[in-house]
Amino acid sequence: MGKAIGSERLGDLYTGGKVKKRREWRGVEDTLYDYKCWLGIMGMLAKYLVRPHFLKGFLRYRWMLNYISVPAMIDKHTVGLRGNHLKIAHEEYDLVAEDVAKLLDTAFKADRYCGNDEELSKKIVVLDENEMFAIMNGFPTLKGISWETAAVYVAVLLQGDAVTGYLDAIQEMGLPGDVCPMPAAEAGTAVLDDFPLFGACAVQCNTTCDGSLLGNGIMARRYEKAGIPVFQIAAPLRHTEEGVQEYAAQEIRNAIKFIEDCTGEKWDWDYYFENTKRYNEENRLRYSWMEMSRTDYPQVIGANLALYAETTYMAIAGRVPDFVEADRRITKLAQESFERKEMLVPEYRHRAIIWGVQAQYYTDFLPWLQNCWGILPLVDMLSLVYWDQLSEDDPEQAIYDLGKLYQEMIMRNRTHGGWEVLLDDLWRFCEYYRADMVILWEHISCKALTGMHGLFEERAKEHGIKLVWVNHDLMDPRVIPKQNIRDDVNRYMRTVLMEEPIDPSLEVLDDDKLW
Amino acid sequence: MKDLKHLIFFENLLEDCNNELVQKAQAEGKKCIGNMCYQTPEVLMELDGVFSARLRAPRTGGFEMATYYLTSFLCEYSRAILERALEGGYNHLDCLLVPDGCTMINRCVENMELLKTIDKEGFFYKYLEVPMKCDDNALNLLVSESRAKILQPLHDQFGCDISDEALRKAVERYNKLCRLVNEIGDFRKEDNPRITGYEFHIICMCTYVCPKDLLIPYLEETLEELKTREPDEKPPYRARVALVGSEVDDVDLVKLIEDAGALVVADRFCYGSLPGRKEIELNDEEDVLLQICRHYMVNSQCPRQMNLEKVNGRKEYINQIAKEYKVDGIIFEQMKFCDPWAYERTTGAYDMREKYNYPVLTIDRPYAVGISGQLRTRVQAFVESVEIKKLQGGK
Repeated sequence: MGKAIGSERLGDLYTGGKVKKRREWRGVEDTLYDYKCWLGIMGMLAKYLVRPHFLKGFLRYRWMLNYISVPAMIDKHTVGLRGNHLKIAHEEYDLVAEDVAKLLDTAFKADRYCGNDEELSKKIVVLDENEMFAIMNGFPTLKGISWETAAVYVAVLLQGDAVTGYLDAIQEMGLPGDVCPMPAAEAGTAVLDDFPLFGACAVQCNTTCDGSLLGNGIMARRYEKAGIPVFQIAAPLRHTEEGVQEYAAQEIRNAIKFIEDCTGEKWDWDYYFENTKRYNEENRLRYSWMEMSRTDYPQVIGANLALYAETTYMAIAGRVPDFVEADRRITKLAQESFERKEMLVPEYRHRAIIWGVQAQYYTDFLPWLQNCWGILPLVDMLSLVYWDQLSEDDPEQAIYDLGKLYQEMIMRNRTHGGWEVLLDDLWRFCEYYRADMVILWEHISCKALTGMHGLFEERAKEHGIKLVWVNHDLMDPRVIPKQNIRDDVNRYMRTVLMEEPIDPSLEVLDDDKLW
Repeated sequence: MKDLKHLIFFENLLEDCNNELVQKAQAEGKKCIGNMCYQTPEVLMELDGVFSARLRAPRTGGFEMATYYLTSFLCEYSRAILERALEGGYNHLDCLLVPDGCTMINRCVENMELLKTIDKEGFFYKYLEVPMKCDDNALNLLVSESRAKILQPLHDQFGCDISDEALRKAVERYNKLCRLVNEIGDFRKEDNPRITGYEFHIICMCTYVCPKDLLIPYLEETLEELKTREPDEKPPYRARVALVGSEVDDVDLVKLIEDAGALVVADRFCYGSLPGRKEIELNDEEDVLLQICRHYMVNSQCPRQMNLEKVNGRKEYINQIAKEYKVDGIIFEQMKFCDPWAYERTTGAYDMREKYNYPVLTIDRPYAVGISGQLRTRVQAFVESVEIKKLQGGK
């Protein structure tokens, strides 16, 4: 153990319990930096927790208990990292953690059951977790908040089995267990009334799949019961076609009008373009990180790219200046490391595209791929989103841009729109990023992905790409535990490629109880 | 009751997609337009020179090849269709017009296309964007998609007349068939119906998979026959039920339910008549295509329509038909792995029980139920519970 990457057997840190034996030793400088960040997170959590409405929320909602593992969540995504790569990870995760804390703070303050700040509640538009937040970019005095993000999406990142109770609740009501666990868990949370109630109105979207769309129906009924009016943005599925763009734009116009009618606020173009400029810059910077991944020295890859990109692209969408500032710092760090030809793990064996939808309960699988097998997760499907620049001065074009964003939001841009964007684009990206391997997340209840199973196999063979299937059930680790996910890779690497791991201590881990 | 004269003929028509009437129409030079969902307006495929046929996979056994391509997590309808396509079972079709509706049908058809399962010369596929809400914007979308992806290709490929007059003529023919089906179906409202749910299901399914003009004479004769048909003095059923839910093109499901003691008097499912065989009303002021599209958008009971009015309206519609057909209970069915109906079955069954106070049986089922003992037992138990409830005065 020491300063050098790969100087420690990382699997030896696991104890089979909630916590590891000790913190990873990364040399004096990196360990102190990492510890300082850890203390910062603890301090930030304490700062929010002492607020009365926050404490009330913490005690009222059972999913809040997962938040005590925030530091552990950051630890598991920084495992094995050193130097600038460690700093990049902390820039990202620490900022996201604070942003989520602010979200919770606002939500609990406005919540009818906690802070019950009615004036604040009137300034909030409730959004879906899996929806572009860009519709709020023209409303300077309003906040877009998704309680689903806090209760379900982030909760599972923190603790793999966080939503199994909600899945049980909705299944008890009659929903089969074969639908996607994410909307099912959200529906279960709604059925148990275990979510903060606030908002002047709600704007939903037919986001990524049939399950998500239908789950919205349960939520809409709940909002209706609480007197919160709901609008649904029905973004077209065939998003590559010109014929649907006018319809998509009109949906955006209708959504804006709905928000204006419900809140009495007016859409502000100046504010919209101010946010859009930041959004464009964020996308340009993110694109530059991915361009580095075409070279022999990728710098921002794996979970560092995937999780952060989802947040900045979809939930922040330019509204928070802190993020673009962080992006600039990350770009500088990445550039420095690139020039110094720094590596993330001691040996690079395979360059992989991560396709499909990641297991939400095992997002640190990507660092594991690097550390255990030397497989570089260069880019992932969810990060390969719409990177055209949005208009920064033309209101008419801006509406069409927004329409396009809602059609081509994360995941949806690949799972809908015909096979070309899911199947054909994959091989183009393999060529572009010089990948020899595809790690294909097979989210078993995602029908859009599994519906191309056979053709993925056939095309991979045609293109000479090594295709590794990795099965999971998104938010339900009871169906496919983490070790099964690792074993999908272990088996392929040992039996098909006949390789030995870089760090054998990571091949089999007793981490079922780990946060 | 005395057997219907044409029942065996109707049953035979459902034994094969390329059935006797399809072959006859194609021999007369008509083109066969394949479709898979209510949301691609069927009447637009009833222009002169063409006829529509909704895809089924009768006599399905296994679907191993389709399961390789789609995995076992996609619904059995999509797998059965792909399997049949891989076997060459749809080579009689001249094109396939489908909505980008539910993901599974979409992926099924994409696989059909990529695997080049239909090799007929000039064969083409079209995928329509269809509304997920019911409003003016959605209507404009359906109109433009129907024009670009149904009417124009039918005109360009097969020379169909797509003028307003031609559309009105197609609606007239379509309505004639709907009137016949509805008149036949109305007998199910009687206290002691002179037609069984099974017989009606068979007849109604034929209207989706056969050239309508060739089928109409048989329907007319059947209607006349029914007018004088005497029902059994002592009805063989113990409960009247509405069958509600996802796609049912299986000839055995309704039969199984009726063998277990229930009479299916209302059919609110894809391939059913409610609202699949509702007549299209046209006025003289508005554009014909617009009116046709509005009919399909407004009457659609697909759970993929997501605005709250539709979400709640679907439950209210079931309540309406339940009252109209005087049902004692509701069977909510869903094909296993169907996401839209999984959710709709959950909330629908809840509302039917809690809000509307109907006894409800909810089932998920395979594509072809055959002689499922498990399902039969569940229906029998449901019928008994409904009977007990009746004896206890509805408590």
